[in-house]
Amino acid sequence: MDIARKNASQHDSTQHYEILQELGDCYCSMGDYEKARKYYENAAVLEPDEAAPYVGLGVVALQNNQMDDAHAAFKVACRLDNTCAKAYSGLGMVAQQNNDYRYAFDMYLKSLELDSENLIGILGLFQTSCQMGSFEQVTHYLEMYLDMHPGDTSVMYPLAALYMKDGKIEASQNVLRDILVLDPKNKDAANLLEEIEHNLAQAQNV
Amino acid sequence: MKRDYKKIEPLVNVIIPTFNRPQYFQKALKSILNQSYENMQIIVVNDGGQDVSDIVESFCDSRILFINRKENYGKAFSLNEALKYAQGKYVAYLDDDDMFYPEHIETLVDTLENRTDCQVAYSDLYKAYCKVSQDGSRQVLSKTVEVSRDFDRFFMLHFNHVLHVSLMHRRDLIEKTGPYNENLNVLIDWDMTRRLAFFTDFYHVYKITGEYYHPMGDCDRISVQQRKNKQNYVRNVVEIRASRPEKPWPKIKDLSIIFMTNRLDRQTGQTIGAIRQHTFYPYKLYLPVSQKDFNGISTDMKNLVFVSVSPERSQEEQLDLLLMQSEGEYIAIIPREYPIRDRWIENPLYALINNRGDRIGYLLEDSTDSMWGVVLKKEDISKARKMFPHLSLLDSLNASGIKLKKPEFEELPLQFDNMIQQAFNAQNDGNWMHAAQIYEYIAENHNNELWMKSLSANALYKAGNKQLAACLCHEINQQRPTVSTLLLEAKVKREEKKYDEAVELLTIAERTIDGMEYLWT
Repeated sequence: MDIARKNASQHDSTQHYEILQELGDCYCSMGDYEKARKYYENAAVLEPDEAAPYVGLGVVALQNNQMDDAHAAFKVACRLDNTCAKAYSGLGMVAQQNNDYRYAFDMYLKSLELDSENLIGILGLFQTSCQMGSFEQVTHYLEMYLDMHPGDTSVMYPLAALYMKDGKIEASQNVLRDILVLDPKNKDAANLLEEIEHNLAQAQNV
Repeated sequence: MKRDYKKIEPLVNVIIPTFNRPQYFQKALKSILNQSYENMQIIVVNDGGQDVSDIVESFCDSRILFINRKENYGKAFSLNEALKYAQGKYVAYLDDDDMFYPEHIETLVDTLENRTDCQVAYSDLYKAYCKVSQDGSRQVLSKTVEVSRDFDRFFMLHFNHVLHVSLMHRRDLIEKTGPYNENLNVLIDWDMTRRLAFFTDFYHVYKITGEYYHPMGDCDRISVQQRKNKQNYVRNVVEIRASRPEKPWPKIKDLSIIFMTNRLDRQTGQTIGAIRQHTFYPYKLYLPVSQKDFNGISTDMKNLVFVSVSPERSQEEQLDLLLMQSEGEYIAIIPREYPIRDRWIENPLYALINNRGDRIGYLLEDSTDSMWGVVLKKEDISKARKMFPHLSLLDSLNASGIKLKKPEFEELPLQFDNMIQQAFNAQNDGNWMHAAQIYEYIAENHNNELWMKSLSANALYKAGNKQLAACLCHEINQQRPTVSTLLLEAKVKREEKKYDEAVELLTIAERTIDGMEYLWT
């Protein structure tokens, strides 16, 4: 085939893989885990060195409550790509389900070191901290995340709770008020703010 | 679905040479036989490869003419052999490892029957990147329309931009172009498309009507292997550029280059060699030589013309003699020491061709006061010399009111290619937004709208402007969806959590990649 090569666009040899992976992600988000699994498996066959299909398979197994399969899939993903933050948060989720909070905490922390914007890692870290009663390091990651995603109320609320727990009452109030500006119907924030203000009023009365 | 033609369908020849690829040949031949257009004569040429008789016979189709040669003579020979048997109004081609979609022939016949100003039409094809297993089976990894360029005659003279298997031409054009050049072992296709461009415009149909395969990694294609020998490749390019079909040429005006040298020595030889290597516009080179030299000269350069002149004659007299002999509508005059480099003549010539004004000549770009060259219309220089034969060349041009100038930047050829290169460079530097802007500018000012918009959409997506990328893809997908634009639009839909829409787009893309659109495969 004789053709002007210098005018050819840069080709992408991974289209087929990307289509399968995207379909897997769509079906997974739609809750059709059987179809999602089929597409992730096909994607893994096409690109056996890619971690993403195994992350998808791990998520599908997790949704189906197949913790061993999920663990195995996330492990493969980590082996294929040891910088895959989603794979580490997946391992965290499996460990959390198995009540292994220490390991879950480590995995969430690792995932946040690789990608500080990983929401699952952030929330998982917060939850395992609550479960273990240890909140060191969590505040830092929540603040960092919110620097990059200001207005994400799903992270603002845990941060407000942490501030309150650490005695940073004013900071906690500010965050809660910000949440209510963004989402006036947020009952959790409203309740927590009310509780703080009630406590403050009581303290003043005492 | 078979067509119900009310009028008489012209006969179409489809030529498919094959050599040692029976595993793909069957699929290729089947794709021809499954065309919606039925009035075809299919000429299969086995170019001395593995016997494929059983494959051909298995179809039991009387439209197939099978030339089963035992000796291997190459692609050009095979095509010429097939053309001798061809009786159709039109000719199309397919390589033995590629395939047509069912409406390929119908699309091109319709175009040529309705666009009688064009005797060649071509469509777009997918380039299918694939992994090839040990048993020869192919797994498609992606399908992209890499080249979808509108016909550009000037560029066609420089290099090819029309896939041979995507085109159909009137058979009688071969009588004008001459047969495929059997001396070439690469770029055989371009040699023919280039010669076709002397006689007709090409019509670009914005429809994907087939695919050609490109194995990932090392490729054993003969043409790819041959390209690796650079010396051989350059030899082929030079031969193609020097080829001049028989006149008249309705679409190209000839160029005569008059080389004002006073002796045949090494310097002259080097300049001739450089002209041969660096000139892509069709030309004949005219050289003044003494009677003594004239009798002793021989050359294999077909477009070199020696004109016998007496050394006693003045330079102007020699020039006038050469002018009389020259047959081109454009005349270039170069002095002995003029440096020859890429586009040395094409830049000013293109400016001249596209300048609508009269009595203008373009100086070659490296011209100085003491050593200058010029290109201009023959009628202008002839008049000047006739009116002022006793004056020097420059004085006669001035005296007859011919304005000489160097070409401005915007008058130069291949602007489209320069801009595309700029966009590629921007992409390589990670400046995707700038690349997108260049593509959009090209789409607005230099045709090739769909192709440029596809590239722009991809660049916008990479630049993070996903909304705009998706809008552009949506617009393209309404006209001519491709796997790339479907995938890109779907990605944005998924990110917007519009999963149903994303799945719909991805399913079409997947079916295209899998070839499910054509279940007969």
